Amino acid sequence: MPAQTVAQFTPVIYMLGFGVLASVPALIISRLLSPRRRYNPVKFLPMECGQMPTGEGRSHFMMQYYAYILMFVVFDVMAIFLYTWASALFLIPRAATLPIMAFLGIMFAAMGYALYLAGRKGIW
Amino acid sequence: MATYPQEYRFGKFIASIVWVVLWIVIIISLIGLPIIFVILFYVPLPPVNGEVLTPYLFLSMMVDPTRTLPIVHFIIHTDIFKVAVFPGFSFAALFAAVTIFVERKFLAKMQLRIGPLYCGKIEGILQLLADGLKLIAKEIIIPSGADKPIFWAAPIAFVATSAAVVALIPVAPGWVAANVNVGIIAVFAILGFFPLIALLFSWASNSKYPFIGGLRALHQMIAFEIPFFLSALSAVILSGSLNLTDIAKAQHPYWYIFFLPISAFVFFISSLAELERIPFDLPEAESEIVAGWLTETSGMIFGLIQLGSYVKVYALSALFVILFLGGWAGPQIFPKELSHGPTAGLMGLLTLQGVYNGVTVNAIFWFVVKTFGIIMLMLLPRGISPRIRIDILLHTGWYKLIVLTFINMFIALALIYGGILGPGGLLTGH
Repeated sequence: MPAQTVAQFTPVIYMLGFGVLASVPALIISRLLSPRRRYNPVKFLPMECGQMPTGEGRSHFMMQYYAYILMFVVFDVMAIFLYTWASALFLIPRAATLPIMAFLGIMFAAMGYALYLAGRKGIW
Repeated sequence: MATYPQEYRFGKFIASIVWVVLWIVIIISLIGLPIIFVILFYVPLPPVNGEVLTPYLFLSMMVDPTRTLPIVHFIIHTDIFKVAVFPGFSFAALFAAVTIFVERKFLAKMQLRIGPLYCGKIEGILQLLADGLKLIAKEIIIPSGADKPIFWAAPIAFVATSAAVVALIPVAPGWVAANVNVGIIAVFAILGFFPLIALLFSWASNSKYPFIGGLRALHQMIAFEIPFFLSALSAVILSGSLNLTDIAKAQHPYWYIFFLPISAFVFFISSLAELERIPFDLPEAESEIVAGWLTETSGMIFGLIQLGSYVKVYALSALFVILFLGGWAGPQIFPKELSHGPTAGLMGLLTLQGVYNGVTVNAIFWFVVKTFGIIMLMLLPRGISPRIRIDILLHTGWYKLIVLTFINMFIALALIYGGILGPGGLLTGH
């Protein structure tokens, strides 16, 4: 059974390979056709709207919405868990929905608190 | 009288063409023919039409038009054909090209642009070709200090990843490259790679604007991925399956958009955000951060990323059609059977003598029509809508859309437990 499940995904891998096969020639043809003039070093500077670039390109950047990223990690897993429940909904007894509702309630309470914290200024 | 330099003489031109033809002949005879013969003689070929396909049989079938059909019939049901041509890459790329063409004309009408409407005399048909030629003939400039392998690999990865999404999308019953049991989760899993590619590319290009754009792509993903997941959840609840073909088949009499309008709305909004299209084009906001994570792209690198993103447009609107609009369901307008048995002449050729299947053609027709309608809806905001702010984006995603998806999820649960849908329900089809 696991072998069959893996075999179902082989066309996806083929498709990935075909995407590579189809896009590499485009880059090669473009490289063959296009001009390559390399005498002007200014051309290869990072884009900064015509000014000489200052500072580094890769710098530290303030992640202002870090709280949302933390919540995302939790809720992504929750969403997948709900999918497993939803796909088996017709097979399980009706009473089994109650624990899911309790689970959702816990998640909503946590989400409300997290959103409250995310909305507050000055703690991140 | 003007004298031409030696290299512009007509004879030289003829000679260069002869050289090119000679090289093509040499390459075909040294590489192409051996490959064909190796495949024909050493690779075990499958039985076609009850006969084992020997090279002799293959060649005689190819020469005689009446005997070509079993081979055609065989080839269009192989994995390779499905991946490369019909529900797969070429179909999606064609859809992408048509989308770009229509989008440019659409916006040209809305914003009084000239080129896309008149270029090439007939309906601006040459604009697309001109764009392609321009992109392929442009120099690819890599900024100094960039991470070169990743810079080259990211556009290829973008196209390949969006192609992998297309592999999971069914077009008609049985016409899907990868019929996976957990299709919808696989689609979301592959879609999760895109912000990663954007972030890698922006980090590799060693420039400030791409970096900010890449971070914005990441934020957009965390704001809209959860509503995107959860809006599709209601369709899974109603159909009880994760397989996309089964979900489309389960909406036989009534499409899910009638029961799940809120989910469909949320799905549409979050797929716009997923595609980085106009109200949500923060990662490539051209009036704020030059072109966002695409700032340092030039030439064909930009072209490939555009191709990938339009293939993604096709994939997501097809997903919308499958989840909410009943997939390929529609009234039968093509005749189910054009001919009984093999027919001679032009009619036989047109109907492919039995390969033509009215039901499948009808399914594909309705699928294409619906998908194109959704694509047009996705193009519409580009002409009329401004960009939203990033804090409003996060606020919309987390405070509003998630709550809306849960409201519709409870409606779906009520429909099932109230005995209206689901096995043995009032409105369940047979």
